[in-house]
Amino acid sequence: MISQESEKPSQPPALGDRIAGAVLAVLALAAWWYSHTFVTGFLQPVGPGVFPRLVCVPLGVLSIYLLCRPGINQRWPKGAVLLRQLGLLVLLGGYAGFLEPWGFLPSTLLCSVLLIRLFDASWRQALISGAVLTIVLYLLFEFALGIPLPDIPMLSD
Amino acid sequence: MDILAFLIQGFAVAIEPQNLFLALVGCTIGTLIGALPGLGPVNGVALLIPLAFNFGLSPTAALILLVSVYYGTMYGGRISSIVLNIPGDEPAMMTTLDGYPMALKGRGGEALGLSAVASFVGATIATIGLTLFAPLLVGFAIRFGPAEYFALFMLAFATIGGVTSGSYTKSFIAACLGLLLGTVGLDPASGISRYTFGWYELYDGVDFIAALVGLFAISECLVFLEDTRRSNPVGQQLGSAVPGMKRARQCAPTIARGSLIGFIAGVLPGAGASLGSFLAYTLEKRWLGRKGDFGNGDPRGVAAPEAGNNAAAGGALIPMLSLGIPGSGTTAILLALLLSMNITPGPLLFDQQPDMVWGLVAALFIGNIMLLILNVPLVGLFARVLRAPTWLLMPVVMLVAFVGVYSLNNSAFDLYVMLAFGVLGYVLRKLEIPTVPVVLGLLLGGQMEFNLRRAMAISGGDWSILFGSGISIGIYVFAIALILAGMLYSWWLERSGER
Repeated sequence: MISQESEKPSQPPALGDRIAGAVLAVLALAAWWYSHTFVTGFLQPVGPGVFPRLVCVPLGVLSIYLLCRPGINQRWPKGAVLLRQLGLLVLLGGYAGFLEPWGFLPSTLLCSVLLIRLFDASWRQALISGAVLTIVLYLLFEFALGIPLPDIPMLSD
Repeated sequence: MDILAFLIQGFAVAIEPQNLFLALVGCTIGTLIGALPGLGPVNGVALLIPLAFNFGLSPTAALILLVSVYYGTMYGGRISSIVLNIPGDEPAMMTTLDGYPMALKGRGGEALGLSAVASFVGATIATIGLTLFAPLLVGFAIRFGPAEYFALFMLAFATIGGVTSGSYTKSFIAACLGLLLGTVGLDPASGISRYTFGWYELYDGVDFIAALVGLFAISECLVFLEDTRRSNPVGQQLGSAVPGMKRARQCAPTIARGSLIGFIAGVLPGAGASLGSFLAYTLEKRWLGRKGDFGNGDPRGVAAPEAGNNAAAGGALIPMLSLGIPGSGTTAILLALLLSMNITPGPLLFDQQPDMVWGLVAALFIGNIMLLILNVPLVGLFARVLRAPTWLLMPVVMLVAFVGVYSLNNSAFDLYVMLAFGVLGYVLRKLEIPTVPVVLGLLLGGQMEFNLRRAMAISGGDWSILFGSGISIGIYVFAIALILAGMLYSWWLERSGER
């Protein structure tokens, strides 16, 4: 629901607004329609579906206006930049997924090294600063803040 | 003198060792965050909220920490503006115009000293304004019923973003999107789940903090990836900051005008610090006319925007604390902190938790003095931080965001929410749709719906109650007036071609 329009490559400026307008108009319509399933047994002057519908009306109208009269956009990313941004999202998504099954230390070490590489550091810089960063974060959260982070499964019983 | 008694009580809270320490930490971190290009008040404070939670701080202490960070970023933003010609954050943009030319002439130290004093005066005037005006507004707002509150929320949405973003269509779309996202979760009145699609993790609604960190910090990293090769050269000799203190005395009228304009811009809903510094600079330029040498390193061109943005930062706290309606992005994030700690700002807050409100105000006075000390003798130290390589900076930001958000609920789901909002924030930025109204919608939607339903329950389903009182009509008129003023302002901008 949130990010369907995320990976549009470079387009002439107005097109981005048109796509966003179309997506948001569909979203408003869908949310309007879906809000009719919010039914309560007892009668209230304003039920659970009313407020969402009240919001959907201006959202839909304004989105259609945006679709017809688009404004300006910033330059959309393309090529290598877009690839790196996707890489970042995949990396962070993978980190979120592996944090619990692998434990904090290995997953954070791997993620931070790759992350620093992604921002154009050399392998040497990435390995050293990634390791330091992982250890500092671990000490900060586990000991200074007293918040348990996920352990490495094999080492914890 | 009720206010004085409350303020003394507040100072008793603020000088507790823990709170003093937090104010100092907040000021230091804030100056650092402000100084680093790419990290501004909004994403800096958003990033620190999960940490403040994890520290297990009391609401008062957490608020003191984060507001100190907020004030600190306003001071810090000027450092990279002056030294590098890159604004450390958006409100510091105007400071580059005369600050960098001063640095090129070898007067960088003087500019830093002068702007620190201007920041101090602006922030102090705003904090005094907060002390005097917030109770007045509270006295007025205590008479508000649900219909008046609903009108107030309409006012907030009608005005936020419009003035600064330029496109009303886009800011209204953003507000509606935020409001719609705010309805996700269990409906508190009936217990029915809305838009959760069977994900039980969404029953409590979209987690504010995960969403905020995503919208601001993660999307900032995505923007940063567009150009990782930018380097931060620190070339010129800075020189001593001390001459700036003397220069500040000559610029006193400029600083006073800038502070006043900034303060007013801060109090108005939908404006904030960027507008404060912009107005302070342009109006000062007009005021001086040919007597000024703006754009070529005129010290007054440094003093005016710095006084303006710091005063606006303080002014923006007034509607947030006394009405629960934030006037800027950063105050919206502070509101998120309070709501997440089950504290609803507004008139009742002043009644029920005077220690918290006045402790915060007193901490701001103290924090300002700390910031002045940090920013005049120690400014060279902060300027050195600008040499930190970006390949390290952004990964640190992301990992802190990740671990911080994860440990709020020990939930990987929150991380995915954060990533999704990061992408959303990035796309919205590219579309030039402002993100602050989205946040406001998400935060205030629940309250807005609650007040609407209460008003309707009182009237028995008669919608005319929303326009039934003089106060609510007055608020709607004020909202329309502000929209018109905003339109007039953007027309004036286009015509004068200032930006």
